[in-house]
Amino acid sequence: MYSWVTLLLAILGFLVIYPVLTLLLGALTDTNPVVEGLQLSHLSVANFLTVLKNPNVAEALFNTLIACAGGTSIAVVIGLLFSWIVVRTNTPFKGIIAAASILPLFAPPLVAGVAWSILGSPKTGLINTLFKWAGLDWRVDFYSLWGLVFVFGIYYAPYVYMFTASALRNMDPSLEEAAEIAGASAFSTLFTVTFPLIMPAIVSGMLLSFIVMLGIYGVPAVLGAPSNISVLTTYIFKLTNWSPPLYNTAAAVAIILMVVTGCLVLLQQKVLGRRSYTTVAGKAFRPRNLDLGPWRWLTLSLGLIYLLVVVVLPTLALIVAAFRKFMFIRDVASLFDMRQYSLMHFDSIFDNPLTLNSIYNAVEVGIITAIVGGALRVRDRLHHSPHRGGGPRRHRPDRDAAGRDSRPRDRRCLSVGLDRDSRRALRHDLDPGAGVHRALHAGYGEGALHLVPADPSRTRGSGLGLRQGHAEHTWHDRAAAGAAGRDCVDDAAVRAGDPRAGLVAVSLYQQHHGDVGAAARLLRGRQHRKDGRIQSGADGSARRLDRRRQLAVARDGAGRRRAGNKMKK
Amino acid sequence: MFGRIAACAVVAGIGLVLGGVPVQAEENFGSPELIAAARAEGKLVYYTANFAEVEQQVIKQFNKRFPEIKVEMVRAPGGQLITRVKTEAAAGKLIADVVDHSDRALMAELVDLFQDYTPPNAADYNPAAQISPKLWPRATLVWSIAYNTELVKDPPKTWMDLTKPQYDKLTGQVFAQSGGTTWTRIMFERQVLGEDYWAKQAATHPILYPSGAPMSDALVRGEIAIGPLLYNAIYPKQKDGAPIQIFFPPEGAPVNPYATGIPKTATHPNAARLFLNWCLSTEGQTFMIKELGNLTSLKVAPVYPEGFDPKVVKVWYPNFDQYVKLHASWVADWDKTFGYRQ
Repeated sequence: MYSWVTLLLAILGFLVIYPVLTLLLGALTDTNPVVEGLQLSHLSVANFLTVLKNPNVAEALFNTLIACAGGTSIAVVIGLLFSWIVVRTNTPFKGIIAAASILPLFAPPLVAGVAWSILGSPKTGLINTLFKWAGLDWRVDFYSLWGLVFVFGIYYAPYVYMFTASALRNMDPSLEEAAEIAGASAFSTLFTVTFPLIMPAIVSGMLLSFIVMLGIYGVPAVLGAPSNISVLTTYIFKLTNWSPPLYNTAAAVAIILMVVTGCLVLLQQKVLGRRSYTTVAGKAFRPRNLDLGPWRWLTLSLGLIYLLVVVVLPTLALIVAAFRKFMFIRDVASLFDMRQYSLMHFDSIFDNPLTLNSIYNAVEVGIITAIVGGALRVRDRLHHSPHRGGGPRRHRPDRDAAGRDSRPRDRRCLSVGLDRDSRRALRHDLDPGAGVHRALHAGYGEGALHLVPADPSRTRGSGLGLRQGHAEHTWHDRAAAGAAGRDCVDDAAVRAGDPRAGLVAVSLYQQHHGDVGAAARLLRGRQHRKDGRIQSGADGSARRLDRRRQLAVARDGAGRRRAGNKMKK
Repeated sequence: MFGRIAACAVVAGIGLVLGGVPVQAEENFGSPELIAAARAEGKLVYYTANFAEVEQQVIKQFNKRFPEIKVEMVRAPGGQLITRVKTEAAAGKLIADVVDHSDRALMAELVDLFQDYTPPNAADYNPAAQISPKLWPRATLVWSIAYNTELVKDPPKTWMDLTKPQYDKLTGQVFAQSGGTTWTRIMFERQVLGEDYWAKQAATHPILYPSGAPMSDALVRGEIAIGPLLYNAIYPKQKDGAPIQIFFPPEGAPVNPYATGIPKTATHPNAARLFLNWCLSTEGQTFMIKELGNLTSLKVAPVYPEGFDPKVVKVWYPNFDQYVKLHASWVADWDKTFGYRQ
């Protein structure tokens, strides 16, 4: 395994370090290493500083950041929305929306740029032609920074979609069920439990979209050129592709682009490194669908609009351009004049034998890349020991006190803290090996409640512990934990004063009995105090408290708890 | 009488035979050994700075005479093509069998990369168009001004008209870096139309294009309404029915001969020679003029393109010494005036 890793590192090093060094050399010298060979005679930072002071470089950098940030924002909204619609709602024909959410990935950026230039040109765009025909006074201009932002956003939403849909699909829905039991509304659950829990997926998708957008040439080349809008990639292209190539300036600008990318990757590590968000349960279950009622037709129509905008319109534009003899389209009527269409452009491109060669080459490279990349990934997954540790134990090696191979499932801590003021779920780790801990703990600031797998040296291997603050209560086995769960209902309810605290007990009880419903009924049945907690009505149903009262009760309970409640070891 | 009938029959027979053979069959495209060797090679790789649609037609016509020789065309605007050739040559990977470039000054620097070559009709060519015995003016292109008749109701008539404020944001230009033809044009503009012509033109905010091909498409489409274009970039579209009008301004029409050669590293040298022989022949040049709107550097033009009256149009050739000496600095000045690549 180590020789394999060394080989991979060596390949990676060559593929990454060698080009970076060449760029650095280009940025710090005044020769073209490609044509003139390696020359270290005139090393200096003067060229690099000149580039930094160039206002056109600053403008290109500014345009790049605006286009990428704006595009990423749109991509996140679209990707997250559609992943939620597809995975977590009862929208009809979800397959179409799922497919539409992925299809833009198949469009090469240059093709997308050309299609949107045909559609969105301020003077001759098909969209404006249609508006004019419809008698509307609207005009679109895609030869602008906003046009760039829009096209980036809609074409790179799939990156966010893939990450977030996968996270939503693998997420334990019992957390949302528990929130619902506690009285949170569907949308409150969405924004305080679901989305925060899939934050790593959102951040990953966001970052990937941003980084990909940074490196795209095709879209800004087509949409930015008519209005002289430069981004870093088109700027570098202009510098290197014409005669004489300004290689050193281009290398300096490329270094700037790499620094921006590097900063983003570091930011991702920092943001995600602070918390552990593992939500994969390891046990198959169905995520529950939210019943949207009549609103499901709205969500379906959103998906269809996206499909129309991202797939149908650009494809139609390209078909028109490919088959039309000339792209001068006077009005909508001439768009349907069949005399204007012919196969002459296809004849023209297939006359050149290089056209077929380039198609073969593209397919060949694609297949080889897919096979090699897939093989590397499979190998990586087979050898990877996933470290999904939770809470304070996550950096410990995977060996238990007895030296046995204790996989994360034996050592991990289930801990969910609910911030008292914002009521957002802060941490959530799950232990796939020991089964699903269907619990949602109510945290009180620093006093977050944690369910921890007990130290196997002191238990019969699969006990549970309840830790609050520095105190920890351990049960030696699950049966005891379950029984303790019943006691915790009252205990937690009394001490905490917040109905959600009872979910600690619910989880323990449910762990033993395997029945969320029974646990919930138990919770409601036991909580019959009249000082602001959940009250059971005559029909046994729980009534939700007014939210402000709940908060007040929670604060009150937390204060009492801090004043002296301790759980015995 | 019998003899007279027989004689007439022979003459008629000869006439029939001769009548069916095209005159060009007499033209010499190369020795039989060269043609056989070229056929055996079967293909060539052709780098050109000319427009892809134009060269596609040329290759098709060449293949009518020599169908066994496949031509793989790689096209890039001159400014890009020279960088590609230099980079490939530096890496020892120049795979082109023929390099057909628009900028004689830039090609002059690379003349050592090329092998000796002389076409059968070398003596028919104007020596002023040649910069080296190895490089030949395979294509000779002329500038014109074109406009979209659906969009322009008060068309320009001269080069100076292009600077009128009424055409603000309606014009396009191919930028100077594109290749030898644009360098010729901007040299003409500064030397003949005045030192301040570039600034006046820049004040009308033309959209800049990397090459005449996308610019002619933009003109037809209506993205721009007016602009200077190489005649062979826009004439085929007009011929096919696009709403375009083209004219040659009275101040002059800049002309740019190409420089074409066979690299020493060519892997199909015989096919390359045959291809160039055909292109430089009267048959090849006539095709390029009549169908595509080229001019020619033959001393005696066999024909002129439609719309081009040699008695009226004032062609302008750059002084080659100045073409070389002023190249770098004037292109840099142009870039600064138009804010390109700064």
